[in-house]
Amino acid sequence: MYRYDEFDHQLVGERVKQFRGQVERRVSGELTEDAFKPLRLMNGVYLQLHAYMLRVAIPYGTLSSKQMRMQAHIARKYDRGYGHFTTRQNIQFNWPALDKIPDLLEELATVEMHAIQTSGNCIRNVTSDQYAAAIDGEIEDPRIISEIIRQWSTFHPEFTYLPRKFKIAVTGHDNDRAAIKLHDIGIVIKQNELGDVGYEIHVGGGQGRTPFIAKKMADFVPKAQLLAYLEAVMRVYNMLGRRDNSYKARIKIMVHETGEVEMRRLIEAEFAKIDASQMLAVPQAEIDRISAYFASPEFENLPATSATLDAAQAQDADFARWVRANVVAHKQHGYGIVNISLKPIGGVPGDATDVQMEAVADLAERYSFDEIRVTHEQNLVLPHIRLDVLKTVYDALNAHELATANLGLISDTIACPGLDYCNLANARSIPLAQEISERFADLDQQYDIGELKIKISGCINACGHHHVGHIGILGVDKKGTEFYQISLGGSADENASIGTITGRAFTEETIVDAIETVVTTYTDMRQTDERFIDTYRRVGLDPFKERLYAE
Amino acid sequence: MPNEYQLMKDGALCQDEWIYADEEVGLSDAPSIISLSRLKAEADVLRARNAKLGVQLLADGNGKTKLGEDVQELEPYLDMLSLVSIAFPTYRNGRGFSAARVLREQFNFDGELRASGEVLHDQWAMMRRCGITAFELAPSVSLETFSDAMGELTDAYQPAADDQRGALWQRHK
Repeated sequence: MYRYDEFDHQLVGERVKQFRGQVERRVSGELTEDAFKPLRLMNGVYLQLHAYMLRVAIPYGTLSSKQMRMQAHIARKYDRGYGHFTTRQNIQFNWPALDKIPDLLEELATVEMHAIQTSGNCIRNVTSDQYAAAIDGEIEDPRIISEIIRQWSTFHPEFTYLPRKFKIAVTGHDNDRAAIKLHDIGIVIKQNELGDVGYEIHVGGGQGRTPFIAKKMADFVPKAQLLAYLEAVMRVYNMLGRRDNSYKARIKIMVHETGEVEMRRLIEAEFAKIDASQMLAVPQAEIDRISAYFASPEFENLPATSATLDAAQAQDADFARWVRANVVAHKQHGYGIVNISLKPIGGVPGDATDVQMEAVADLAERYSFDEIRVTHEQNLVLPHIRLDVLKTVYDALNAHELATANLGLISDTIACPGLDYCNLANARSIPLAQEISERFADLDQQYDIGELKIKISGCINACGHHHVGHIGILGVDKKGTEFYQISLGGSADENASIGTITGRAFTEETIVDAIETVVTTYTDMRQTDERFIDTYRRVGLDPFKERLYAE
Repeated sequence: MPNEYQLMKDGALCQDEWIYADEEVGLSDAPSIISLSRLKAEADVLRARNAKLGVQLLADGNGKTKLGEDVQELEPYLDMLSLVSIAFPTYRNGRGFSAARVLREQFNFDGELRASGEVLHDQWAMMRRCGITAFELAPSVSLETFSDAMGELTDAYQPAADDQRGALWQRHK
């Protein structure tokens, strides 16, 4: 994992001091809420329905045990004993007192963390593949270039007051788990015929009220030129992106209105000018320094299978089920990637208590080379667990209600905070996610249904990613009543697609039945081993529509 | 015409020798800041004028375009210009940050670059990094407040239009 040097420590420390000054000016009344807003927004502090909310950055979703324990401590000391892991691999605290936030940030800085650029119209926290350095078939650990991008984009003097927020995601694998085509810039690490590593760049993806899949702007940007290329994209956007209407201000709208060809021309013209100076070519020594922090852990040489694991699975059906659903093959023989579901049946998606966070930290420290990952699907990962100790890890997770065996299944929903917390929402998301998971509580039934991603947003801003849910649910408000619209066929992976709305919305009372109708329509029509998304792509929307709106 | 302001230039409060010229009236011999449209229309006459000339670049188009004026349009006139005033219509509009860097780094403009309009406390240091050397500040801002704000962050991660190299480079001098 990356560790701060004096330089990083100094910058974060100075930022805490700067923010303390801003909060003092606000608390004393020198700053009005209006004048304070742009300042707090640049540091992850939002004013929500009931209180201020603080969003803490977890760069590319990687945490150490010590950092996770700090989140538990913050949840206990400054909040109500829990935190919420988000779709951007961050963590949010919903109840900190404003005047205590500088103290909180000071404590956070002691474990090399901050809340810088987790909000505001700037380059946000870089996200990446939660299985980085653990999955087979990766070209390079995507966290190396993610860390370089994190540093380059932190307090970037030119790109901190962009037309709108800006999100960058990186993957080093053909199976995209970082939803890169739904980001302002998506980066895929590639290797060319000569064996050189470089980057395929996608620009202009996004969700919100006008969803777009990103367009491929460059097939192969060589390593040394990546920052120059990124700076070119940012400058073209900052100069020519719309500022007259905040709903049309994301780069996806600019790409759409300008056209892919002209956009590419603009970027390449600017890139040529910036690259000529070589100012942004990162020295190889610095790339090496950062790469060294991500060196592979010292894995043991183990057989591919474990007799201990086989015996435990034979004895305990629940454990066997959990292994099947939540443990993913590791690149190293004798290890597995453990997914910890934060979607217990009837629970709040993405929430974890202080005690749960500490339990995960203990397991990571003891069994996973001190590493934890946060996924954009709001779960946690212990990336490097020996197969021999899976049962031990499972038992410890189970004791803290962290062993729900539903990864990728119907109850593993993404949901935004919705009307329970957010002042933009039209409808509640969390209670609906809870009801759906209770309706399909039977795990055997969930396995039978198979991979099915339900994503719920409480409003058109799409924080719950409903556009790319196999089943997407959008909360809408009609004359003060909450309604839910269904869309089908969305996907956030390497075959990204935007879902299609089925038709008129459902009421709070009928939405869960409607979801069940969609599911039975699928199970009635599927061919052997066909996933929901594949059936949908084969048969289209009509059969679902007929059943949903049958008189 | 901008609102009442005090001029902070190269880190000190000073008398502004420049005036924003009335568009309808002929220019005096005083250092004058004019609009881009006037610069383009009267370039030949202005080239013969024997006094300092500046231009203001509008960021919000002033109703003329959706986007604001394009810094690229200044390129043919740079030899005539001693000052470019970059307008920030609201603190949210950061378009001028890019204009400043293009002027400094691509056009090698070495005259005065000033920020006019709504500029926040926390933007001053970033503007300086982009090559802005003068600020039109609200009369309530003290020199001390300004100096403190400029010194809040010692180092930077990335290069820009100033002399900081950025951590990614500095670590391996």
